Amino acid sequence: MTFLERSRDPEAHKHWYGDMEASYLYSTGIAGEKFFSTLRDKGKITGASCPKCRKVFLPPRMYCEICFSETKNWKDVGKEGTVETYSVGYVGIDGEPLDEPVVYGLIRFPRTEGGLVHVLSVKPEKVKIGMKVKAKLKPKKERKGSILDIASFG
Amino acid sequence: MRKVACIGAGMTLFWRRLQETGKEMCWEAASMALDQAGLTLKDIDMVVLGSAPDAFDGIHMKGENLLDGAGGAKKPYMRVFTGGGTAVFTPIAAWWHIASGLANKVLVLCEEKMSSVFPHPQSAFGHIWDPILDRPLKPNLVWIFAMEMNRYMTKHGIKKEDIARIAVKNKRNAVDHPCAQLPDPNITVEDVLNSEVMAWPVQRLDISPPSDGASALVKTSEKVAKKVSDDIAWVEGTGWCIDKTMWTCRDLVFPEYVARAAKQAYRMAKIDNPRKQIHVAEPYDPFDYKECHHTEGLLLCDKGKAPSMTKEGITYRDGDLPICPSGGLLGVGNPIAATMGIKAGEIYWQLTQQAGKRQVKNDPEVGVCQAWGDLMQYGSVLVMRRG
Repeated sequence: MTFLERSRDPEAHKHWYGDMEASYLYSTGIAGEKFFSTLRDKGKITGASCPKCRKVFLPPRMYCEICFSETKNWKDVGKEGTVETYSVGYVGIDGEPLDEPVVYGLIRFPRTEGGLVHVLSVKPEKVKIGMKVKAKLKPKKERKGSILDIASFG
Repeated sequence: MRKVACIGAGMTLFWRRLQETGKEMCWEAASMALDQAGLTLKDIDMVVLGSAPDAFDGIHMKGENLLDGAGGAKKPYMRVFTGGGTAVFTPIAAWWHIASGLANKVLVLCEEKMSSVFPHPQSAFGHIWDPILDRPLKPNLVWIFAMEMNRYMTKHGIKKEDIARIAVKNKRNAVDHPCAQLPDPNITVEDVLNSEVMAWPVQRLDISPPSDGASALVKTSEKVAKKVSDDIAWVEGTGWCIDKTMWTCRDLVFPEYVARAAKQAYRMAKIDNPRKQIHVAEPYDPFDYKECHHTEGLLLCDKGKAPSMTKEGITYRDGDLPICPSGGLLGVGNPIAATMGIKAGEIYWQLTQQAGKRQVKNDPEVGVCQAWGDLMQYGSVLVMRRG
């Protein structure tokens, strides 16, 4: 047994390099199609509302996850929300230091279930839980029907 | 339902990169647990294995790859998977094999080899985010924890230093664990507060390290346990629960799903006052604030009060309610599923007075362990009583 043989060198033991090659193309789905086309074409953030529970889900779902009804009505939730929580990131996905810290947060909207995670264009020293922020959309001709059509909240 | 006993446990060293393959680690941990139980592989009826995402080991269907090291060939064998929750959910799955009457002797394995993915398992973790809503923003896994920790601290007015004290406690406890990756006898609160900021308020020393490792348990029926073992802990209660898929829809301050899982387990174990009736706890502690979150979810203190338990000394090995006496994920390491060895395994060793230098001083009769995982919204809870 080699229980006590410790090494920090990834190549210290006999090894073989490999990878798991696969690329993906993800459907945005029935609710996603509508959410992203409305964002692109009308510049509106919309939630899906349950006809029975009356709850408005954001991001929208095709179904109500509480009572399983199909969500048929769509509501404009507006562009202004509240920062429920935030963080300031200093390192990237492989642990590398970022050139500039990135501020991101969870934004909640009035009378909706859920919210959106997004980048906040607020200075790290100014960001606060509970502050009001507004979606800053990209100009219409640059919008492609993705979450990046919202440039940031600030 | 039949009574179920735990009669043996084993685990490998937790380390950044072990020479052993996943199946070799399984074999080492399983051999230790079988030795302790006084059984051999021939005696085992069924095998349950737990392991987290295939992407860590880099082998799709890794349950089948690990099969031979887990001793599962030509036996009823299954893999269970609830992310980090696997660490306590796997012994729960083994429990129902026996409680139902289907099996008498079950070998329980948990494995993770996180060093296969390089340069860092973050690149595998990155794929748990929603591909349409989140991934275009290039999120780092630490984001989600940082936002939850910030909400928890802000809502309750908790100071960072009171949470850092938990990392210090666990990393110091880990000095007495022979399998530990990050023990530190001299670490201080200042060290944690001065460590690199990854995503405020999460700093380097608030986080457990990714690890390779495996762990094992042997579970049996009452009849078998009484025949072959003098060191028995009974499984008294089991519970599990999961919160909503979209974390933007969840309460980030209190883990209601852990509380529901705990209530299910306590009801089964006839525990109506957990603060008095539980003597040692191993909540899941991949981050220091998560130990607080989970201690509150396990109903061992009021909401927002977990940090002050450590400040007052209650959670140390000589305190009234030792928490993470193993050294936890923060100190021993975090090979996701394999942390069963420092959760269910540690409670077994504590209740049977086999924890050596880690033995808590309050002569525990009842212990609870809990793990947390899936998309950060899953809780599994197991209550054991000494035999």
